[in-house]
Amino acid sequence: MSLLTIENLRTYFYSRAKRAFVRSVDGVSLAVARGETLGVVGESGSGKTVTALSAAGLITGSPGVIEGRIHFGSRNLLDGLERHVQVEERDGRIMAVEKDERGWRRQVDKLMAGVRGKEIAMIFQNPRAALNPYATVGTQLVEAIRLHTRFKGKSEAKERALHWLERVRIDSPRLRFDSHPFGMSGGMCQRVMIAMALSAEPSLLIADEPTTGLDATIQSRIVELLGELKSETGITTLLISHDISVVRRLADRVAVMYAGTVVESGPAARVLQPNANHPYTAALLASVPDAETIRTKSALQAIEGEVPDTINAPLGCRFYGRCNRVTDAVRERCAHAQPPLAEIAPGHKTRCWLKAA
Amino acid sequence: MARYVQAHMTVAGIAELPLFRRAETLDLLYIGYGLTVVVLVLASYLAGAFGWLPHDAQAINVALLNAPPFTPGHALGTDFLGRDLLSRLVLGIQAYFLPGLLSVALAIVGGSVLGVLAGWRGGWWDTLITYLANLLDSFPRLVLILLVIAAFKPDIYYVMVVVGITSMPVIANLVAGKIAFLRQKSFIEAAHALGLPGHTVILKHILWFNCRALLVIQATLGMAEAILIETSLSYLGFGVQEPTPSWGNMVLSGANYFLQGNFWPSTAPALAILATILGFQLLGDGLNNLLEGKRRR
Repeated sequence: MSLLTIENLRTYFYSRAKRAFVRSVDGVSLAVARGETLGVVGESGSGKTVTALSAAGLITGSPGVIEGRIHFGSRNLLDGLERHVQVEERDGRIMAVEKDERGWRRQVDKLMAGVRGKEIAMIFQNPRAALNPYATVGTQLVEAIRLHTRFKGKSEAKERALHWLERVRIDSPRLRFDSHPFGMSGGMCQRVMIAMALSAEPSLLIADEPTTGLDATIQSRIVELLGELKSETGITTLLISHDISVVRRLADRVAVMYAGTVVESGPAARVLQPNANHPYTAALLASVPDAETIRTKSALQAIEGEVPDTINAPLGCRFYGRCNRVTDAVRERCAHAQPPLAEIAPGHKTRCWLKAA
Repeated sequence: MARYVQAHMTVAGIAELPLFRRAETLDLLYIGYGLTVVVLVLASYLAGAFGWLPHDAQAINVALLNAPPFTPGHALGTDFLGRDLLSRLVLGIQAYFLPGLLSVALAIVGGSVLGVLAGWRGGWWDTLITYLANLLDSFPRLVLILLVIAAFKPDIYYVMVVVGITSMPVIANLVAGKIAFLRQKSFIEAAHALGLPGHTVILKHILWFNCRALLVIQATLGMAEAILIETSLSYLGFGVQEPTPSWGNMVLSGANYFLQGNFWPSTAPALAILATILGFQLLGDGLNNLLEGKRRR
């Protein structure tokens, strides 16, 4: 039973300069089962973060989410939003969007009341910036606890806050309670963010690049902490990262995103295996330096070319221009039609013409 | 030369210290002086309001014109009509106190509201408010005040309403700028993700946590500004009218005798103005350093 199901989500933004839609998320489907960790990997700009923000109703750009279904538990998080958005489509491409911003925003706030922060909690990259620099971490943690839990009184909320600071392994929590974010290390700030997110005892945790912007050793400690908290609380997690090692350590299942689409999804061990099924996954894995590469000081294997800009996404496979597996047999199809996300093993899907046949 | 001393306590001890123990000496001096001025102003206001004065401020004594300080019975001497200077100085606060507060409150509240509208709502609110602010800024303030006096009457409250309104754009600009800067920050996004309602984010996380020092500074500066404006107007003869004393018209009336050697009747109120304005400014500065939690050099 999935806790969060995203179906055919499209989140577009409009570039006034280019008078065109930036198709950040273009038909993404994901499902996160209760209690599991779904890792989403992909290069920068592949639409990972926008997918997560769409699920949390935090898209501020325009036109934002224009199509799709997001089911969270028994709720439909996009319920009634279609009334505020009118989409003009031609040949399967969206040509124009008319949106009632005010009504849309109001509807999102209505849908998200009691969900955001309470049911879906988020942790962000660069934790120091995600805390209010002028308030002590204690104040902010207490605010979150009083907002979302039954600990409404000041002193009981403080007790609860200290309890959570301890649970995220912060040394001398009583001292840190009165610290400002600028007096703390990045890793410590991230621990506070994790405490804030988990203190509401949400059913879904969205971790958006939780280790980005931290030192390598601290990254490892944070991943360790997330793993421990995961086994303690069993919380369902949507983990977004471009760091494959982080996803490998934490995720049960993995979805690989490329240029706004999911190109492969399945159990972590099957997707992130050395001879990966999808050429993009294989290229991603090859670009991670292993001990051998570092020892022999050989060059890192970068993926040739660049991510296609999502304004003029190619008609065919989005990875076609950079793919090193393409054969003459499928070249024609790769160039002109997008491959379907086909199931190649139970629960393992991949979007490649080589596998679709 | 800087000296760094390890306190004889654990690090935990420092965080538990009360706010004033963590401050630096200079800030405490500023704040102490500022608070002394505030207390003196408050005491003078109450003394004036209840008539607890050493002499009747309007009582003319022709036998004792322009008496120097420390004349028996007149600690600060008398003015050109033999009126007691100390009593007139104390009573002079009446001209500033409530009107000054009015202008400050008007400027802070109005400025914050406009600033939030411009910075948070953006769009045509921003355009409109920026346009109005520029319009107001391009108009010399003193001329505007004189226009209002000409249109209505030379009442200090009218003047202070104008001062309050003309101070709004500055505060609105500061607040809007701060908000525009803050909304790029991920902690505002994080606050939304936490499920905090919009008004909590604006009032608590933006105005209270991030703008309070700015608003305190602006309030104290505004008070100093109000006193200066009233003084200038009184000196020009448009402010509080004789025989009601204000520091501005005391400087004016004393100035006629300044070059004859009787410099005291205009120097005393001038020094009072200096000390008071300095007090408000230093108070703002000291509070800023203390409340911000860190010194910006």
